[in-house]
Amino acid sequence: MLFFLARRVGVMLVTALCLTFVVFYLTNIPAKLETLAKTQAGSRISDAEVASWLDRNGYNQPMLVRYGEWLGVARGWTRQLDDGSMTGRCYLLTGTTIPGAAPERCGLVQGHWGNSTRFRAPVAEVIGARLGATGMLMLWVLIVMVPMALIVGVLAGMREGSRTDRTLSTFAIASTATPEYVSGVVFIALLASSTVGLSPLLVSWGWIEGPVLFQGNARSALEGITFWNFALPVMTVALYGMGYVARITRASMTEVMTQQYIRTARLKGVSFPSIVLRHALRNALIAPFTVIMLQIPWLLNGVVIVEVLFSYPGFGWTLFEAAANNDIELLLAASVVAVLVVLVTQLISDIGYVWLNPRIRVT
Amino acid sequence: MMDPLSWLDILGRLLVQLLPVWLALLVLFALSIGFKRRLGLYGKLFDSAVGMIGFALVMFWVFAALFANMIITHDPLAQFSGMRNATPGTPLRDPAGGYEVFLLGGDALARDVFSRMIIGAREVLRIAPFAAMISFMIGISLGLPAGYIGGRLDTGLTFVANLVLAFPVILLFFLLVAPEIQNTAIPRVMAGILFLMPVLFFTVLLNARFFTQPLKRNLYVGAVLVIGLWAYSGLAFNADPFGIWGMSPNLLNVFVAVVFVNAPTVFRIVRGITMDIRTRDYVSAAQTRGEGPWYIMLWEILPNARGPLIVDFCLRIGYTTILLGTLGFFGLGVAPESPDWGSTINQGRRLLTVYPHAALAPALALMSLVLGLNLLADGLREESLKD
Amino acid sequence: MTHSKRKATELHRAAKLYARECREGRLSRREFMTRATALGVTAPAAYGLLGLAAPQARAQTPQMGGSLRMQMDIKAQRDPRTWDWSELSNVCRGWLEYLVSYERDGSIQPVLLESWEANEDATEFTLNIRPGVKWNNGDDLTAEHIAHNFERWCDASVEGNSMAGRMSALSEDGKLREGAVEIVDDLTIRLHLSSPDIAIIVNTADYPAAVVHPSFTGDDPVANPIGTGPYRPVSHNTGIGAVIERNPDHTWWNEGNGAWLDRIEFIDLGTDPAAWMAAAEGGEIDMTYQTTGDFVDLFEMIGMPQSEAITSATIAVRFNQTQAPYDNVNVRRALQMAVNNEIVLELGYNDRGTLAENHHVCPIHPEYAEIPGPVFDPAQARSMIEAEGLAGHEFELISIDDDWQAATCDSVAAQIRAAGINIRRTILPGATFWNDWLNYPFSATEWNMRPLGVQVLNLAYRSGEAWNETGFANAEFDTLLAEANGIADADERREIMAQLQQILLDEGVLIQPYWRSLYRNARPNILNAEMHPTFEVRYQHYGLA
Repeated sequence: MLFFLARRVGVMLVTALCLTFVVFYLTNIPAKLETLAKTQAGSRISDAEVASWLDRNGYNQPMLVRYGEWLGVARGWTRQLDDGSMTGRCYLLTGTTIPGAAPERCGLVQGHWGNSTRFRAPVAEVIGARLGATGMLMLWVLIVMVPMALIVGVLAGMREGSRTDRTLSTFAIASTATPEYVSGVVFIALLASSTVGLSPLLVSWGWIEGPVLFQGNARSALEGITFWNFALPVMTVALYGMGYVARITRASMTEVMTQQYIRTARLKGVSFPSIVLRHALRNALIAPFTVIMLQIPWLLNGVVIVEVLFSYPGFGWTLFEAAANNDIELLLAASVVAVLVVLVTQLISDIGYVWLNPRIRVT
Repeated sequence: MMDPLSWLDILGRLLVQLLPVWLALLVLFALSIGFKRRLGLYGKLFDSAVGMIGFALVMFWVFAALFANMIITHDPLAQFSGMRNATPGTPLRDPAGGYEVFLLGGDALARDVFSRMIIGAREVLRIAPFAAMISFMIGISLGLPAGYIGGRLDTGLTFVANLVLAFPVILLFFLLVAPEIQNTAIPRVMAGILFLMPVLFFTVLLNARFFTQPLKRNLYVGAVLVIGLWAYSGLAFNADPFGIWGMSPNLLNVFVAVVFVNAPTVFRIVRGITMDIRTRDYVSAAQTRGEGPWYIMLWEILPNARGPLIVDFCLRIGYTTILLGTLGFFGLGVAPESPDWGSTINQGRRLLTVYPHAALAPALALMSLVLGLNLLADGLREESLKD
Repeated sequence: MTHSKRKATELHRAAKLYARECREGRLSRREFMTRATALGVTAPAAYGLLGLAAPQARAQTPQMGGSLRMQMDIKAQRDPRTWDWSELSNVCRGWLEYLVSYERDGSIQPVLLESWEANEDATEFTLNIRPGVKWNNGDDLTAEHIAHNFERWCDASVEGNSMAGRMSALSEDGKLREGAVEIVDDLTIRLHLSSPDIAIIVNTADYPAAVVHPSFTGDDPVANPIGTGPYRPVSHNTGIGAVIERNPDHTWWNEGNGAWLDRIEFIDLGTDPAAWMAAAEGGEIDMTYQTTGDFVDLFEMIGMPQSEAITSATIAVRFNQTQAPYDNVNVRRALQMAVNNEIVLELGYNDRGTLAENHHVCPIHPEYAEIPGPVFDPAQARSMIEAEGLAGHEFELISIDDDWQAATCDSVAAQIRAAGINIRRTILPGATFWNDWLNYPFSATEWNMRPLGVQVLNLAYRSGEAWNETGFANAEFDTLLAEANGIADADERREIMAQLQQILLDEGVLIQPYWRSLYRNARPNILNAEMHPTFEVRYQHYGLA
């Protein structure tokens, strides 16, 4: 088991290294650097000004050297200013200008994630705050999605071919066919508009005080999450993810229901609810569990869409902003986080599979 | 000038306008049901209600895309003065001999929503299935040897596939489908590698089957190479001497990115199935017969893996359609003014509370197509399990 | 608020000339105000020259206290002189003030200056600094501080310092010319210009001209908020929002005349107006920064009335003449001919502006000459393109991904297509668009308003200018333009302008469909927050009813 874990961690590190290099390469092609200079120093600056900005900020070294700087294996760039003080990667990161006061190397290895050019703040700070916000969103998504998906899947799968099954399956399929950018917008129109949908009706009946039932914008959830400002984004992500998990649960449930031991139990006269709850459920939930874990990285897509749509500054929103502004170090950190999420959920899913299913042993 | 149409009139006119689609569907279903016993898995589809509904939805859009030129009422890119955000059934100010109403209204730039939706089907169905197909060929070409031969090859390929899969799709798109990347060699190089796969696939496929009959082999393989390399030069490098095959840099970029994220998943599926099938008796029999590894992989294992692959293929087209819409949502990729559904939904959604028709029409179209593909996949799965 | 030591009888000669033009209806009142006040004439005196009384002060004084939430992009801060977006300046307006301000009526009002005078040929300006102004760190504002700011503005070695271009009459070799700024006494400085430039004072009202304390060295005026204004920043998060509060430890020089609000919160909701709308419906914002297109009416529908500013801001759908096939004048003219500006205004900009005539000189410019406008003839356009052998050519029109700009270009492209000419559109994201904006063969650029017609022509159409995106190089045009620059009288200048405008039309330099009106929506209880023609958000004057 220990060897298994060590190997997985090793693979994880190599994967992260490869991916960050790809991200680094794609964000450091000359045209992207020009974009960065123009977003940083002024959108209508001349080519000469771009060149001088890049030169002054240490962007003119070979790409591999700069990747090394970021990793912390190569020496950070330095430059003496006219007044004798020093500037450079490590000087900026440690906030000093006195020559010799800053360390030679300051990258990932030394614990420096760099600075975000878009948000003018340390990357670790930005990522930390945004991950927290997305964590809340994901938590609620899972709280809503998982029970709903399991209930729909189990109900549909316990009597295959019944009318309940047909209805719920169609619902599950329809939910996977409705992407977030459609459902989110429809939710806003129906529930968070003072001119159409449900809200004007409720107002005219005097049931709600404000002009709208739900808030179509989740910015206020940063200060305090309420049902009214968080329900729509959560529903939007959960709905799309739900269908898939429900279908896996249904498939797994139908398979379990045809097993010998279930038939035996039925013949013995055990009541149907008791069969489902006591015997079928545990075995039927193995497959959905692994799928839910693997689903988490997939939800990230939806999270980016929803966070942008509802202006909720979480991790997905940060990813979008960083990509749109070519914020190199923030993108690198974000990809490290994303890779870790993918690989850790895979690991949990594998371990959970083994733990839930005693017939399989890790070798 | 005529009065705006009522909803009943609009519905009637829509049905008339879609006449070619109804006829084609009727013929297709009549023929298919008539001969379903002779049509294998496809025929069995018509035993399942779910499958039939799914198939009908998908074919509706396929026929709509095919006959789009007969169906549309206006040029999808033309703008008509006075028709900004016009409600469904609004007559034109000055039809000038053309169709006199906007059946499903006008969008924010005074273009006909109905015509854009129909032409949009063509845009979507031109990219999604094609991209899914290329992804499949790549996944199959790499997944078969990885699963069958195993060892170092398997370890290496699996690592690369997991590498791509560990990337959040959206980040990859932000990085790859950027205008700055478009002007570098990256998309061309990637296209050069990715598009070579189908050519290699068919070459090896036919060579493995017919290498004992050199005459047939030379004919088939030669034909594949000529056509394949011709298309390859045009699609990947825009160097088709006759100018028939070609892709705008923008489209190519999107295409490459979509294939790139889909292929590893297909690879994993194929690899898994291959590892399962390779232990079967008929594979051992072929091995003792002395068949070459490529023959076994392509002519023994692949046909037996077709069930799950066809199902996944349907799902993947739907998924790709949604993915293309996501790109439209972030304003990446596909050309502006393009009537593809993702972009039109994104443009229309802003005014959804006041003028819902501009976004709802393409949204319903997209959902029905994806729903159809999902139902079709379900039907196929059910029927193939009955074997 | 008098700010000139002269009497009305001693007013600048040119100002009287302008007044005559204005009375005769050849100069708009707004334009007259700009130019007369730029020469140091007080606003009431300027109104007096026209035989009018100055408009009464605001009808309604806001109550003290309250807070306001406004949607606005919050971008990463940097050195004020390098600001490239008005939003950057708007955050800091509560503590960083300007020498003068540009008002909605077109006049220039003193802020940190008390008054200024120009000599006869506008080569020497005397600036009288307002006495009693204190920095919020306790220092007094002195002439030396202002001189220091002029020195900062002239430093062209700082990348993106756009003030350097505005101060060219004061600089030499990329820095302040020796002796250009003379400190007369503690509260007076004198500017010695190398060439006449009546715009120099107007330029200090531009948003990058915020006056900073001499101790300001860093690049972030929020982290280091030493200023003269009544507010101070509480928090500033790029892309998310900023909070400003009244500074309790500082006495503002203009006490009692503003700073009504206790707190202003800027909320960055991204670029999607649908998101602002959702936030407004949820009661999360009270006003927008700028509303465009259909949303002006939509916000009004949910109880946020609009305010409008008529400007000479515009969009230039220009050809780059150095690149084929646009090096051919017939091609350019044919494409112009295929486009009906009226329809572009209707479909691309919701009819929220006034028609323009493809020569970038606006009827509100004083020297605007009425000449026959562009011809719309799609059939002729098609045959001209065919005659040039480009019947099968696919043109490409590039634009930024901004809502109204993309819509305008879509609409231009649709018309060209309707004329039977192949064209495709390309949209580039905001961050990428500017990489190459000067060199795109056929693309659209947004231009903000400039008070004088010659100003825009100097900036964008003179041969070899830094912002000449059309690649237009015409010796006759340059000579005429130089001549026009030397003529103060708008009537005389108009004769030359007519020729200049005609050259631009004959050469088919650009498709310029309309002049924009700018809009903002705010809840009805918000006072003094009308849309400003140059997007200023002077929240020190905003208040609640």
